[in-house]
Amino acid sequence: MKALAITWVNVKRLVRDPSTIFFVFIFPMLLILVLGASFGGGFQPQVAVLNEGGGPFAQELVDEMADSEDFDTISYDDRDALLEDVERGVANMGVVVPGDYDERLQSGAVAQVEFVGRLDQSVVQYRSTIEAIVADQSAVFRAARLVEEQGLAGFDDAVASAQLAATSTPRTVVARESTGESVFGEDLGQFDLGAPANLILFVFLTSLAGSAALINTRRLGVSRRMVSTPTSIGQILLGETGGRFAIAMIQGLFIMVGAAVAFQVRWGNLAASSVLLILLALVGAGAGMLMGAIFDNDEQAGSMGVFIGLGLAALGGCMVPLEIFPDTMVKIAHVTPHAWALDGFAELIRRSGTIGDILVEIVVLAAFAVALLALGTWRLRAKLTH
Amino acid sequence: MRAAFVIAAKDLSQRIRDRSAILLGLVAPLGLAFIFSAIIPDTTGSFDVSLAYVDQDRGEISSGFINGVLPDVAADELATVESYTDLDTAMVDVESGTTHALYVFPEGFTDGVLAGDGGSVRLVGNVDHSISTQIADAILSGYLAEIDAVGISVDAAMRNGAQDPTALVVAAAQSPDVVVLVDTEAANRELDATTFFSAGMAVFFLFFTVQFGVSSLLEERFYGTLPRLLGAPISRWSILGGKATTSFILGLTSMVVLAVATTLLIGAEWGNPVGVAILMISGVLAAIGIMAVVAVVSKTPEQAANWQSIVAVLLGLLGGTFFPLSQAPPALAFFSKLTPHAWFLQGLGDLSAGDGLSVVVIPALAMLTFFVVTVAIAVLAGRGKVLAP
Repeated sequence: MKALAITWVNVKRLVRDPSTIFFVFIFPMLLILVLGASFGGGFQPQVAVLNEGGGPFAQELVDEMADSEDFDTISYDDRDALLEDVERGVANMGVVVPGDYDERLQSGAVAQVEFVGRLDQSVVQYRSTIEAIVADQSAVFRAARLVEEQGLAGFDDAVASAQLAATSTPRTVVARESTGESVFGEDLGQFDLGAPANLILFVFLTSLAGSAALINTRRLGVSRRMVSTPTSIGQILLGETGGRFAIAMIQGLFIMVGAAVAFQVRWGNLAASSVLLILLALVGAGAGMLMGAIFDNDEQAGSMGVFIGLGLAALGGCMVPLEIFPDTMVKIAHVTPHAWALDGFAELIRRSGTIGDILVEIVVLAAFAVALLALGTWRLRAKLTH
Repeated sequence: MRAAFVIAAKDLSQRIRDRSAILLGLVAPLGLAFIFSAIIPDTTGSFDVSLAYVDQDRGEISSGFINGVLPDVAADELATVESYTDLDTAMVDVESGTTHALYVFPEGFTDGVLAGDGGSVRLVGNVDHSISTQIADAILSGYLAEIDAVGISVDAAMRNGAQDPTALVVAAAQSPDVVVLVDTEAANRELDATTFFSAGMAVFFLFFTVQFGVSSLLEERFYGTLPRLLGAPISRWSILGGKATTSFILGLTSMVVLAVATTLLIGAEWGNPVGVAILMISGVLAAIGIMAVVAVVSKTPEQAANWQSIVAVLLGLLGGTFFPLSQAPPALAFFSKLTPHAWFLQGLGDLSAGDGLSVVVIPALAMLTFFVVTVAIAVLAGRGKVLAP
């Protein structure tokens, strides 16, 4: 009962502080939003397109590019802006259809299309996609010129018949199909990658930063006074642990429900994801207790908590997906509870797993929780009874 | 003047002793830059594409591609190319991802095309290698377009009353390309991953580091030392100058140490030192100005610290210090420009293209504008309040 009172005080302290409200509730949602908006759409190369002339043939070429499923096009009306955006990476490459494009095609000259790219390897490879589209239009005009040269028709009629031929001649096509199992899973939602990563990052980060509150309790002598009352040390430790755990759970639930409502994140099997959240909150509570016992200066613990929290999150795959880590770093990542929790959520969200599929993750996280809680309460007990 | 330096020296020694400045100014950004540089695979320059083919057609057109096009692709190191005789073996390798994309030329393909019926080549891509598959598609499409071009030419000529298809094929095959793609090389103004994270972390934590100076005025009041300072025979501007100097030295030192350390330890490339110095100084000033505004409107050191972290984290996120926002939606890109962080990183990116020092002028001016505006706000908001006894 007394333990519950201590837990309740901890929660009340949290909600009275504007900055914790921001970091615990607002910031995680903001981050999920920004990450989802920037990267959630999957990767499509961006092609900056400038049509300087605007004649019908130039327009046709531009339309062909806009219809491509291999990249997205962004329209420009200024050459310098296009060049700058390619240089800055806003667009991966640029295509400029010069002003004299139609004129040259009509006069029998060779028309040029400008490809603006940075000399990175990847851009050289994208170039072939644009080249194939240009080759398509080139074919029509080659045919038209042949007709004209053979004295069979004038230019306009030749173009018309070449266009007709281009649509009616049976083509050689590339029939594209795909195989294999995607590491990210099929139909991954825009926020499905960012939401669990941020859930784990913030529950852990808040728990570590929350150790400052524990240190304050000790520094201001509140703990001493609690110990002097007829309250057993076990009750106090239980209450403090409960406080850390309750805060982690409140934040975790808020992020899970918030992401589900605001960003349509499906967390998968409810029982399994609840178990993961509870374990995560216990691991966080244990880590927070340990930090609160080790450090004696709340400011240091606060900064250190932020640093360790962000560092472990990055290492554990909460900032950059584990899937793109180099192989050795994937192994190192699994030193952190983050990586295990991420694996668990990935199984539930992307592969519709159930509790049976994440038993290993559950056992490992439970081990983390037990070890950290035991260590934390042992150290804190020593500090309080000293 | 002398008094300002004495105050700054006292503040600095205090900060070094309590270690939190070192933690936030050096250890945290350096540690995170290390971690990021370890977990981000180095993609610059090497983008592996592994292609394979199975030729069941064994005709003129398939061999034209296999022997005429693919060897050039391999020679240019665009992709590695492997040959399979057995389709099932090849499919297993695509499925596992060892081969990214596989061309399958079916039996009778060449015959069909030559008979004017068209034809199709299977391209099987691994689901996680969509870019490789797309490249594979483009390489083959370019080749097939050439073949189609001949067919279209012949068809168009026949429609206009030509008589001899065989002669037309020869003429069509020899006709030159009408539209060609010419290259314009663009400079690279994006930072490589290691430099990006080093610079991003440095400027992100800069905003935490400078707060030690600007907020210490609140601490002086909190601990009752401010009235004593005010009672001393020194000008009030010396006190403010001393606090600003503390912030400036802490901020600039942490930036310089981080630049040197990341260059030596993880191979970050910050670029022209003079340009980097200009950007750093403007960045530190902008950070001081912004944090001073927050300090001025706060009542206690604790309140200031809380709001300063919120502002620093929000600006850092919007400024693209944790992940590049170059391809973010336009609205986000616009808000990004309202942070000194984005200008700092843009300045470094422009500098890395090697176009000389003039490229830092606009980013530096943008950051100095933040400084001037925020200092003006701080002075107006704090008049008669910050240094009241």
